[in-house]
Amino acid sequence: MTDPILSLDDVTLTLAGNAGPVEILHGISLAVNRGETLGLIGPSGSGKSSLLMLMGGLERATGGSVTALGHDLTAMNEDQLARFRRQHMGVVFQSFHLIPTMTALENVATPLELAGHRDAFDRAEEELRAVGLGARIDHYPSQMSGGEQQRVALARAAAPRPHILLADEPTGNLDGANGAAIMDLLFGLRDRHGATLVLVTHAADLAARCDRVVRLADGRVAAQEGRRAAE
Amino acid sequence: MTLPVAARIARRELRGGLRGFYVFLACLALGVAAIAAVGSVRESITAGLQREGAVLLGGNAEMSFTYRYAEDAERAWMARTAETVSEIVDFRSMVVVDRDGVTERGLTQVKGVDGAYPLFGQVELDPAVPLADALAGNGAVMERVLADRLGLRPGDTFRLGTGTYEFRAVLTREPDGAGDGFGLGPRLIVRTQALQGSGLLEPGTLFETKYRLALPPVADLPALEAEAEDRFADNGMRWRDARNGAPGMTRFVERLGSFLVLVGLAGLAVGGVGVSAAVRAYLEGKTAVIATLKTLGAESRTILAAYLIQIGALAALGIVIGLVLGALLPLAFAPLIQAQLPVPAEIGIAPGPLAEAALYGVLTALVFTLWPLARTEEVRAGALFRDAVGRTRVWPRPRYLVAILALAGALIGVAAWFSGVPALALWSAFGILAALGVLVLAAVALRWGARRAARARIVRGRTALRLALGAVGGPAGETTSVVLSLGLGLSILAAVGQIDANLRSAISQELPEIAPSYYIVDIQPNQLDGVLDRLQGDAGVSKVQTAPMLRGIITRINGQPAREVAGDHWVVTGDRGVTYAATPPEGTIVNGGEWWPADYDGPPVMSFSDEEAEEIGLKLGDDVTVNILGRDITAKVTSFRDVDFSTAGIGFVIAMNPGALQGAPHTHIATIYAEPQAEAAILRDLASAYPNITAIRVRDAIDRVAEVLDGLAAAIAYGAAATLVTGLIVLIGAAAAGERARVFEAAVLKTVGAVRGQVLAYFALRSALLGAAAGSVAIVAGGVAGWAVMEFVMMGGYAFEPVSALAIVLGGALATLAAGLGFAWRPLAARPARVLRARE
Ligand SMILES: Nc1ncnc2c1ncn2[C@@H]1O[C@H](COP(=O)(O)OP(=O)(O)O)[C@@H](O)[C@H]1O
Ligand SMILES: [Mg+2]
Repeated sequence: MTDPILSLDDVTLTLAGNAGPVEILHGISLAVNRGETLGLIGPSGSGKSSLLMLMGGLERATGGSVTALGHDLTAMNEDQLARFRRQHMGVVFQSFHLIPTMTALENVATPLELAGHRDAFDRAEEELRAVGLGARIDHYPSQMSGGEQQRVALARAAAPRPHILLADEPTGNLDGANGAAIMDLLFGLRDRHGATLVLVTHAADLAARCDRVVRLADGRVAAQEGRRAAE
Repeated sequence: MTLPVAARIARRELRGGLRGFYVFLACLALGVAAIAAVGSVRESITAGLQREGAVLLGGNAEMSFTYRYAEDAERAWMARTAETVSEIVDFRSMVVVDRDGVTERGLTQVKGVDGAYPLFGQVELDPAVPLADALAGNGAVMERVLADRLGLRPGDTFRLGTGTYEFRAVLTREPDGAGDGFGLGPRLIVRTQALQGSGLLEPGTLFETKYRLALPPVADLPALEAEAEDRFADNGMRWRDARNGAPGMTRFVERLGSFLVLVGLAGLAVGGVGVSAAVRAYLEGKTAVIATLKTLGAESRTILAAYLIQIGALAALGIVIGLVLGALLPLAFAPLIQAQLPVPAEIGIAPGPLAEAALYGVLTALVFTLWPLARTEEVRAGALFRDAVGRTRVWPRPRYLVAILALAGALIGVAAWFSGVPALALWSAFGILAALGVLVLAAVALRWGARRAARARIVRGRTALRLALGAVGGPAGETTSVVLSLGLGLSILAAVGQIDANLRSAISQELPEIAPSYYIVDIQPNQLDGVLDRLQGDAGVSKVQTAPMLRGIITRINGQPAREVAGDHWVVTGDRGVTYAATPPEGTIVNGGEWWPADYDGPPVMSFSDEEAEEIGLKLGDDVTVNILGRDITAKVTSFRDVDFSTAGIGFVIAMNPGALQGAPHTHIATIYAEPQAEAAILRDLASAYPNITAIRVRDAIDRVAEVLDGLAAAIAYGAAATLVTGLIVLIGAAAAGERARVFEAAVLKTVGAVRGQVLAYFALRSALLGAAAGSVAIVAGGVAGWAVMEFVMMGGYAFEPVSALAIVLGGALATLAAGLGFAWRPLAARPARVLRARE
């Protein structure tokens, strides 16, 4: 019995390259089940990030359709997508992407505020405490280490309790110890909120913690291997 | 070995082209161009004034007298000294035209000339008849405005006093017009001979005679001046010569030129802030390159030299562009400029002003770029391996701070030296530095306040506002540089606006309430009762004041030449009105000594205006010698009184007891306060009963002054425009420099769920906050600067002009907003994925 929270149907993506348009994703069909943790792996340049961006509505598919929680993302305009993300999606990037002119607390409170939560700051503080940064809420990104910045980014993505968490190599810029800590936090958040997680990663041990792993090669799904999917 | 290596590094980096340096180049080029252009025009005008001194003056030298013709001794000396002497009579009168039973009158400045006029230069007429023909018999020529106002065509006749004259041609060029100075009415020229019997040059009438001398080429002007002064100065003779043919004009041009150069320097300072920001942004982008170079073993000195060479080369380019523009612009607009000038000016390329402008450009570039350049020394190789955002603000080493201060001092010193008005230059520099200081404080306060406000409970939930406050208060923002450049630009504009508005209101707003409608001068003593009879019976007349009036020159104070005692004070430099009265005239406040008894009959005594007395150091009991009609009258100062010259009533610096002056030929002046409807009838009756009198409508006189001030205000506005454009470029530069950061912020905000309206509101609020902070400082700084200039330079009163200030500041805030939003399109339009991926 599967219940796809996110499904892609024959999705293609063409971007304008230096030498004319380049087709980056070639007809990808994929479904992610509610509560599932999906690992996306594949060599560099195979299209993992592109695919994740499409799932988050941060990039627009050239062909095919992307459906999330029953909504067709390809039919939405920029603002509708933003509102959709506000309620349902959290995104974590390899390079953290915190806003440098905001403190940790302000960075985390922003999506909550946008979603109209009156207690945005109190909740943001809680989230920061949950990732172990209760003492650094007034620090600016430039005053924090990479590991700390990524924890803030995690808190920011998780704060609105999204149904879907998208993470693009969240440990790619971190050393082993910091990376492991971030991963524990990420899986912890997933478990606590019962969110669906799509995780792009290089690391085999991380992939091993996923319910299912999809391997991309050259913009196509090359292989799928399920661990619990076969149940 | 350092330098060649540095030069090679610099050359490689410059291969990248000028991208990112357009603002830098534009700021420098514009400032230099404005200064060079003003300097070039000023130079050509002063050169023209110098070269054409004899033409402007109407002779190699001029001896002038008030109220009288030259006496025999004076004539004999002139005849002996000069090859040719030309006699000019100059006075105010009214042109009267009767046509179809209607009488029209126009105030005019009459010049009676002899056959030798003009000694130098050419009079130009329309139609182009020879001057001798045009003036033959009762012929007259006049300026077009006057002929047009009175509807006169060549061949028509008009009256002047009791004489009748024929208008023959329009006076299109009066070679000695600029040298004659400021007249209240348009010029009219007739033969002096033709004025006989017009009743206009009766004893006591206000007129001036000028004797223009054509001297032999070998004449020694300074020696002749000394000789003439020695012989005749005590007799009320005034000397001018071709070394400075139009002193009023020269002074005016030099003052205005200096003032505009100072405005240009302020513009350069505004540009300097932009230059500094551009260099800082460029070098921040080079942190990785610098760190890499250091890793590869480059010394700090080499790196500093490399970037100094780069920035130096770019600055040189900017300055050269500025010089070319500054030299070519006046040439391109030469016909336009020349048409606006009452003086001959051959606009050409003037090396002096160009060099001056280049020097300002070099010093400004150094002052404003050395700070960011010196900070390259503080970049550590380790920066490569740490997060690049984690830079802390570092001060340059002390020796660079000393160098910056020394260069700034040199810049101010050079400006003070070249401007010729060192006090004004120093005060301006002080004003700019003070404004910059206040703006730095304002930026710090704004950041602090914004940071606090961003945390305040009330802004929670108002996401756009909180984001804006956070961005303004946060680190690595452009808050300081925007507040500085915009604030300085707006302050200067606001100051100019305040000065301009005050100048205008000083003449147009204050007066009508209290000013009389008419002055009537040249009322002969036997006409006074008749005039008063006519006025006192009129219900439309609310008040009439009359006073006897003579004109005299203060020649000695306690036996010493007055100029030695009082210097160049206006009271002793020309002829002044003198009156007499038995009792203090109505409204007089005697505030030192005592007014003479009504029946006083002793030696001459004098009451002096208190303010002027204090300025020239006069004390009670001093002896003041006044030359009236060639006769010396020495009077003891027995009282001081408060004279208000600003109300346009009758104000005399000097009043004497009647016995001292009654015997001298003199006339009376009257001021009439009347309803506008009654004015025409009064003028008609008085002028037809007493053709010799001259009525000056106060409104017209004020308008005439206003015309001159309008020109002044326009020149100032042009100067301010250069500053404004520089300010806008700096603004656009700041907005453009921030675009990358905005694109990123918009992408992240969209990712976490912000719609475009919210992002736009955030950007708009952010710009508005910066604009409002800079504008608030500008209102205060502009007000203080405007007050200082009005009070101490223009010697006028000051009132804060809120409309001008608010308009300028709102304009500035709107411009910031527009620039900010103009650079918001790309960030808003960009897909988050593209932006964020580019940063992975
Ligand atoms: N903006 C772009 N324009 C053109 N090609 C792009 C753009 N962004 C990425 N690509 C290309 O798309 C392909 C997939 O990139 P990406 O999704 O980042 O792969 P991955 O995350 O698996 O390394 C790569 O070959 C990359 O060069
Ligand atoms: Mg990737």
